[in-house]
Amino acid sequence: MSITASGIRRAAPAAAQGGHIVVRGLTKRYGALSVFEGVDLDVAEREIVALVGPSGCGKTTLLRCVDGLIPAEGAVLVDGEIVREPRPGIAMVFQHFGLFPWKTVYDNVAYGLRMAGVESAEIARRVPQFISLVGLAGFEKAYPYQLSGGMQQRCGLARALAVDPRVLLMDEPFAAVDAQTREILQFELLRIWERQPTTMLFVTHSIEEAVLMGDRVVVLKGRPSRIHEDITVDLPRPRSRATFTLPRFAELRERVWSTLMSEAKKAEFQVGP
Amino acid sequence: MTVTTITAVAPRRFQMTGPTVPRLVAGLVILALWEGVVRGFAPDFVATPTGIVLAFPRVIVSAPFLAALAQTLGAVAEGLAIAIVFGTTIGLAMGRSVLADRVLHHYVNAFYAMPMLVVLPLFSLWFGYTGAARLATVVFSAIFSIVVSVGDGAHSVPHDYLEVAHSFRAGRICTLFEIVLPASLPYFLAGLRIAAGRALIGAVVAEFFTAIGGLGYFILFNSRTFHDNTAFVAVVFLAAFGIGFDLLTSWATRRFLPWYRRDEAAE
Repeated sequence: MSITASGIRRAAPAAAQGGHIVVRGLTKRYGALSVFEGVDLDVAEREIVALVGPSGCGKTTLLRCVDGLIPAEGAVLVDGEIVREPRPGIAMVFQHFGLFPWKTVYDNVAYGLRMAGVESAEIARRVPQFISLVGLAGFEKAYPYQLSGGMQQRCGLARALAVDPRVLLMDEPFAAVDAQTREILQFELLRIWERQPTTMLFVTHSIEEAVLMGDRVVVLKGRPSRIHEDITVDLPRPRSRATFTLPRFAELRERVWSTLMSEAKKAEFQVGP
Repeated sequence: MTVTTITAVAPRRFQMTGPTVPRLVAGLVILALWEGVVRGFAPDFVATPTGIVLAFPRVIVSAPFLAALAQTLGAVAEGLAIAIVFGTTIGLAMGRSVLADRVLHHYVNAFYAMPMLVVLPLFSLWFGYTGAARLATVVFSAIFSIVVSVGDGAHSVPHDYLEVAHSFRAGRICTLFEIVLPASLPYFLAGLRIAAGRALIGAVVAEFFTAIGGLGYFILFNSRTFHDNTAFVAVVFLAAFGIGFDLLTSWATRRFLPWYRRDEAAE
């Protein structure tokens, strides 16, 4: 992140204030098995941190701990408040979309607002706004089964954005859509973020996606896994398709790749536990 | 916008699709055999297909038949409604609360497996030879299949849905009605079909035993007075009930639950 860009961001007050995530000594055990141990992680306000790691390293579990969905040892704080249960202002986008098949696009997007106790006039005002923000205008009455995977995730994104979160937790949000759609959604998310920068913890198994989206890429690995590297992505924003062509993008991608692969190879050829 | 195809709503599924001609031929062969055997070897009063067809127009407008039909269907509808309300409530509780399941599980399964015939004498003792005994039998026959189905459904709500609800800080009651209930719907519909059949059996059996009117009594009375063909008209109506109920639930599902497609219910 360039100094000027961060300076501008700090100076411009956005609707969503705060969103500072602090993770200290987070350890998740299932019985004798430790998924991750002693994870320390800081995500600043309006920063995007991409979390990568080999499959099974506990990226998604870590994200669920930050959301307060599952308990863990250690501490998760968002804006100084300890997270033990899901809290207002933190919203998650799910890998398999998590849309309710019995609700229309409109009702799915409205769900988070209704659960937050927002009054109905306000819901009626905001839902169409977020539906058109993600490009789903005209599909308000469609049911999820009538939508393509990409459109379903647009709906999942609108549902999360509608509650005006300080923190967005992204659980491999584009892993379940095809490659072209994935690329389109990545840039749309970046466009939305530019308009309203929100703190984001972004779990992905795609190295390119991590480097494209993140201000930092955090590599989680080992058994039990720990944070192995914290790589600052000093690519200019706004990022676009042109970002892929920058030599620096290739360098960073290689760096993340080699960090990950050294371990992946070791794991692949490891015999026994 | 990328792939913006909206798939057409699944085509209407009729229950009577398939190889129509062989099916009709098989039916006609069976009816012809019946007709032939009765005409050749049985006394006059035994029902024949032609006899039933000839009796049909007379019977279906006769006051005793219409009264009996209204009584039986009324009792089935009333009993099913009660069974749906209480069965769903108990099923949801069992599916979502370990305590409720532990407390009720064996009892529900015991009653589910129990033939309704054995409780009939008790019900007629408690309620007398009245419509209440029949209603109780219908409820008893229908409720446990709904409890078991809804319980299974509520127990196996996809974890993803519950996680989303939890993440958006939904309350327990809200999650029960907005997530668990609709997610259990395929199970509920499966249970309801079984319940409807059992409810009808319950009503007719109660009528056999207690002689309180209705189609069961109509059949019993007419066959004992050697009006076999007349009795059989009522039997045909009972058989048609299954088809009718199935069509009704299919229609209601399409009309009121457009998102629910039976072919993907197992998803």
